[in-house]
Amino acid sequence: MTAIVATERLTKRYGTTVTALDDVSIEIRRGEFAAIVGRSGSGKSTLMNILGCLDAPTSGSVAIGGRQVDYTDRSALVHLRRTAIGFVFQQFNLIPNLTAEENVEYPLLFNYRERGERTERARALLERVGLPERASHYPAELSGGEQQRVAIARALVHDPLIVLADEPTGNLDSKTSTDILELLRELNRDRQTTFVVVTHDRECESLFDRTIGMVDGRVVA
Amino acid sequence: MMAKWLEYARIAGRQALRKRARLLLTALGIAIGVAAVVGIVSLGEGIRCQSVAMIEEQSDLALIEVTAGLHGGTIVPITASKTASIASLPHVQASAPVVKAAFATRQQTYLGVVGGRWDEMVAVFDPVLHQGRGYRAGSADAVIGRDLADQLLRYEGIRPGDTFGVLVREYGESGLPEDREGDLAAVGILQERDDALDTAVLMDAATVTALAGERDTYDAVYVRVDSPENVFSVVEGIEGLGLNANGAFEEIESVNNLMDVVILVLSSFTGISLVVGALMIVNTMIISVFERMREIGITMAVGASQSDVVGLILLECLYIGIIGGLIGDLMGIGFAAIINTVGRSLILDRLGANFAGFAEADITLITPQILAAGMLIAVLLSLLAGIYPALKAARLNPVEAIRQM
Repeated sequence: MTAIVATERLTKRYGTTVTALDDVSIEIRRGEFAAIVGRSGSGKSTLMNILGCLDAPTSGSVAIGGRQVDYTDRSALVHLRRTAIGFVFQQFNLIPNLTAEENVEYPLLFNYRERGERTERARALLERVGLPERASHYPAELSGGEQQRVAIARALVHDPLIVLADEPTGNLDSKTSTDILELLRELNRDRQTTFVVVTHDRECESLFDRTIGMVDGRVVA
Repeated sequence: MMAKWLEYARIAGRQALRKRARLLLTALGIAIGVAAVVGIVSLGEGIRCQSVAMIEEQSDLALIEVTAGLHGGTIVPITASKTASIASLPHVQASAPVVKAAFATRQQTYLGVVGGRWDEMVAVFDPVLHQGRGYRAGSADAVIGRDLADQLLRYEGIRPGDTFGVLVREYGESGLPEDREGDLAAVGILQERDDALDTAVLMDAATVTALAGERDTYDAVYVRVDSPENVFSVVEGIEGLGLNANGAFEEIESVNNLMDVVILVLSSFTGISLVVGALMIVNTMIISVFERMREIGITMAVGASQSDVVGLILLECLYIGIIGGLIGDLMGIGFAAIINTVGRSLILDRLGANFAGFAEADITLITPQILAAGMLIAVLLSLLAGIYPALKAARLNPVEAIRQM
């Protein structure tokens, strides 16, 4: 299988003293369901932000979909975020004054899709994540698990190459966490979407194709 | 592209409506400034309008006196071809080219003489004869203005029908005055008309030049315009010929110039409240951006560019501007009505009886242009006020913004 994301000697330093990422070279293959595990401060989130084109590395390079990412080209980064990347956050991060359906279709607004197509896709995804009857609810009216399902639908709505989920179960109880991870796994199988999931609970490791361990900014086997 | 901005407008509208009280109060800040400007400008426009109406009532606006012009230091004389051009200008109803001269009676009463064709004089001035008849071409007939006729009767006993001697003062080669003599027949007296004709002597041009000396140009052309509204276009035509135009319209011009300055000064003072309103918007939007930092970060993470973020924030400001402009225009109309009822008696007391014309009419005037300007000011100021907060939002680092709790 071809690599959908590849990093080459990726390093991120803050100032002269803090090294968040140290010489990280990894490959995520198309359709893979990969976990990144490590303690807090091990550089997982930094890696995710760089892969997600939200942050730039100090040195090293990243290729997404076989193409080098130019971190100095702001509009190219915006284009990648718009088309190639989906985010799921620990805090769910839905827009509070938009309904579940509007939250799901929100990324399509910046992709200039017609309203009809947006609504259709959002409805289909809400149904896929098991919340068809919650479409017109606002985030405050949803439980944590439901909010995260809406967020997952939002991350998939523009058919990204890769979904980056940064501790998606960090704010959920263990039962709901398992449900969410299983949902992600199902979506990965059904849609062949590549997932990189940051997690620190090793209980669900069996769900993943591969586990990448991180310690102090380095990748460990 | 248009559809995209309509969608942005919808999203920004939802954001703006989140804190309705805040939206309304911020809009009110700009509205008060707009209302003050609208009210003051409407007062200025009202006074301008009343003053012009008074001038129109008291003077003959449709009459223009054309005199020789000055172009680059040389005099542009009124030649026969120029008078023909004037007569053929659009909206010119009648014109009377004249020569002017100064005569004196034997007892040294000054006579301002205007020489032209009687039929043209009639067409331009529409004179009404108090006594006698008009003058004939080629004769020594003179038609005398009412005030001058009274004076001649009282001091010199000259009556209509009388012939009287006049002196034309000229200077010989030695520099001494050499008076030439002639006789005029007082054939008619004009009715009093409260203008310059009351003290003038009207007669045939050829008779004037025979006494005062031949010349190949005219001293003036009196022009009757078909209606007062067209005066300025005729004046433009006359000035285009290189000639000067004088008349009551100049008073209107000077009133307009004066009121332009007054309105500008007053509205810039009241405009200070607009600055305060704009600063309120800056403040509100900065707070709003700060509160929504995380949302802005997420919006960028899901694919919004910096310009998308700027656009979304500016659209919110646009709503504040539109609401502020609407409320401001409404308040301005109310403000103008208050000035009209409360302020009128106060202003009339100060101005005295000469301005009685103001008593019946409105002293404020709201025009569609004033309201449109109020709206435009509100919208432009709001957008201007939004630039800094919008740029602040667009420059947020998404990673740090999303991390905000």
